[in-house]
Amino acid sequence: MESQKIAIAVDDLTVAYNYKPVLWDIDLVIPEGVLMAIVGPNGAGKSTLIKSILGIIDPIAGSISIYGKSYDKQRKLVGYVPQKGSVDWDFPTTALDVVKMGTYGSLGWIKRPGKKEQKTALESLEKVGMLAFKDRQINQLSGGQQQRVFLARALAQDAAIYFMDEPFQGVDAITEITIINILKELRKAGKTVVVVHHDLQTVPEYFDWVTFLNVKKIATGPVKEIFNDDNLTKTYGINYKVSVQQ
Amino acid sequence: MSSAQIEIQLIASMVAIACAIPGTFLVLRKMALISDAISHSILPGLVLGFFITHNLNSPLLIIMAAITGVITVVLVEFIQKTKLVKEDTAIGLVFPVLFSIGVILIAKNANDVHLDIDAVLLGELAFAPFDRFLVDGLDLGPKSLWVIGTVLLITIGLLLAFFKELKISTFDAGLATTLGFSPIIIHYGLMSVASVTIVGSFDAVGAILVVALMIAPAATAYLLTDNLKKMLVLSVLFGVFSAIAGYWLAHGLDASISGSMTTVLGILFLLVYLFAPKKGLISVLYRNKQQQIEVSLLTFLLHLNNHQEIKERHINHLNEHINWQRVKSKSVVDLALKNNMITIEKDIISLTKKGKNFTDKAIDYIITNDHSKIESIKDDFFLFRG
Repeated sequence: MESQKIAIAVDDLTVAYNYKPVLWDIDLVIPEGVLMAIVGPNGAGKSTLIKSILGIIDPIAGSISIYGKSYDKQRKLVGYVPQKGSVDWDFPTTALDVVKMGTYGSLGWIKRPGKKEQKTALESLEKVGMLAFKDRQINQLSGGQQQRVFLARALAQDAAIYFMDEPFQGVDAITEITIINILKELRKAGKTVVVVHHDLQTVPEYFDWVTFLNVKKIATGPVKEIFNDDNLTKTYGINYKVSVQQ
Repeated sequence: MSSAQIEIQLIASMVAIACAIPGTFLVLRKMALISDAISHSILPGLVLGFFITHNLNSPLLIIMAAITGVITVVLVEFIQKTKLVKEDTAIGLVFPVLFSIGVILIAKNANDVHLDIDAVLLGELAFAPFDRFLVDGLDLGPKSLWVIGTVLLITIGLLLAFFKELKISTFDAGLATTLGFSPIIIHYGLMSVASVTIVGSFDAVGAILVVALMIAPAATAYLLTDNLKKMLVLSVLFGVFSAIAGYWLAHGLDASISGSMTTVLGILFLLVYLFAPKKGLISVLYRNKQQQIEVSLLTFLLHLNNHQEIKERHINHLNEHINWQRVKSKSVVDLALKNNMITIEKDIISLTKKGKNFTDKAIDYIITNDHSKIESIKDDFFLFRG
C-alpha cells in the first residue's frame, strides 16, 4: 500500500456554514484505486467533504489536491454523482439527455455535443441497464432508475476518480446490486471511487477502504484493519458493535 | 393593413420572442418573480440615464437600466443570504424601494419631460410607429423596432451559443460547477439578458405586462412538453400568437394593445392548464379517478382470489365486506365483468381464468416491481403505466 499513488490529498480542511464548523481540520489521503466509503452520522459533514473537494463549497481553510494539482486543473479526471434530491426531476428532459450532460466537461464552453457524445451516453446507459429508458422523461423514472441515470452520467464523464453522494439512498435491491457491481468494475479498471454511505452493514461487503467522519476525521484506512467497534463508537458516539450489525 | 399596423405587430412579436426566451429559463429556475422585480426596479436606472444624457433616446438609458436590473438581483440575493428573510420577502423589499426612488426622481426633476408613470407601467405600443429612426433624413422604421430587434438578436445569439451551459446549470448547478461551467456567471448572464430584454420591451408593453410576456408563454409551454428545446419553441410561438391575436383584439375592442396581448396569454394558459393532454387539470383528474377505480378492482379481485367460500363471494356480502358504497361496488363489478374477469351466477361471483391470471400477474408485479411481468396488461389499465 505504501507504494500506491495518492489520488486525493486533503490538507487541514475546515468548512463552516454561517460560522458553525461542519468540517474541522480534516487531513485525508486517498490512495489510487480504492473503493472507499465515507461513513458518519447525519450532519457529520460527509456530503460537505466531497462538495469541498469538488469545489462546489468554498472551505474557510485548507487545501485539496487531485493527483498533486488543484481541482481546477484536474476536473476532467473527476466524475460526480450528486444526491438524487439535489435536482428538479420535473425538468423537461430525457434520461439520455441527462447522461449526455456528463460529456459537457470534455467539450468545454460553447461547443455542442455531437455523435461521439451521443455514443458515449448510450454506452453509459447500457452499462447501468437503462438503455430501454433512454427517451423517457426523467420524472417518469422510478427512484432507482433515476439513480442509475445519475450513475450513467458520471460514467459518461469517463473519469479517473468518482465521487458519489449516497447513491444507495432510497433505491430498490436491483439498482443497489447494479450500482455496486459497476463500482467494483470501476475499481478493477484502476479508478478511485469515493462514496458517501449510510448502511454500515454493507461496508465490509462493498468497500475496501473506509473513512470515519464526524466533523473531525476519526479514522481512515483499509476496511479490514479499521472497520471495528472502536472506530464506530468514536464516530457515532454510542457503544457500537459491528458484530451485532452483521 | 396599414404599414403602422404591420409595424406594431412586428414590434409586439419581437418583444414577445425576446421575453419568451429568458422567461423559459426563469420559469425552470423557479425565479418567475425576479422578472417582476427587475421590471420595476429599472426605473431609477432609466431616470438617472436621462439625467446624465438629457436624451430619452440614448443607449446609455438602456445600459443604466440593465445595470439597475442586475443590482436588484444582487440585492435580493444578498438579503436572502443573510437568512434573516426568505427569498420572496427579499424580492418584495427590494423592488418597491428602487421603483419608488425612480418615481420620486421623476416627480422632482423630470416633470417637463415625457417620462410619465402611466407610460412606464403600461407602455403604449400604438405610439411606437410615430417615433422614427432617422439617419440623414432617411426613415429606417420605428425606433422601437431597432431597439427590440437588437436585443432579440443578442438574446438569440447568446441562447445558441450557451444553450448547453444554460441547460446544465439550470438542471444541476452542482454538476455544472464540477465540470467548470460557473453557474454564477451563467446566472448573472441570464439576469443581464432578462434586464436588457425588459428594458428593450419597456416602451412597448410597460413594466407590468412585460412580466406576463416572460412568464405566461413559458408556463404554458411547460404543460405541453417534456423537452427543453420544444418548450423554448412553444414559448416563442405562444408569445408571437398572443402578440398578433392581442393586437387584433385591441383593434376590435378599441382597447390597450399590451392589455389585450396579456389577456390572450391568460386565456391561452387557462385552456392549456385545463386541457393539456398529460399535465392538464382534466387529464390529471381523469387519471386519478381511473387509478382509484383500478385499485378498487384489484382489491376486489384479490378478495375473490383469497376466498373460495360461497358466502364470501356473494354479491351482497361483498358490498358489506369490502365496505364500499353501492355505486362504487357496482362500477367495480361492472368493470370486472366488462373485462371478462369475473362471472356471476345466482349472485355468486367467481373469478374467470382471465381474472385469475390478471390477479396473479398484478400480485407478482407488486411484489417484484418487475415491469416485464405486466407488459400484457399494461395497456388496459392506467394503474400499471409509467
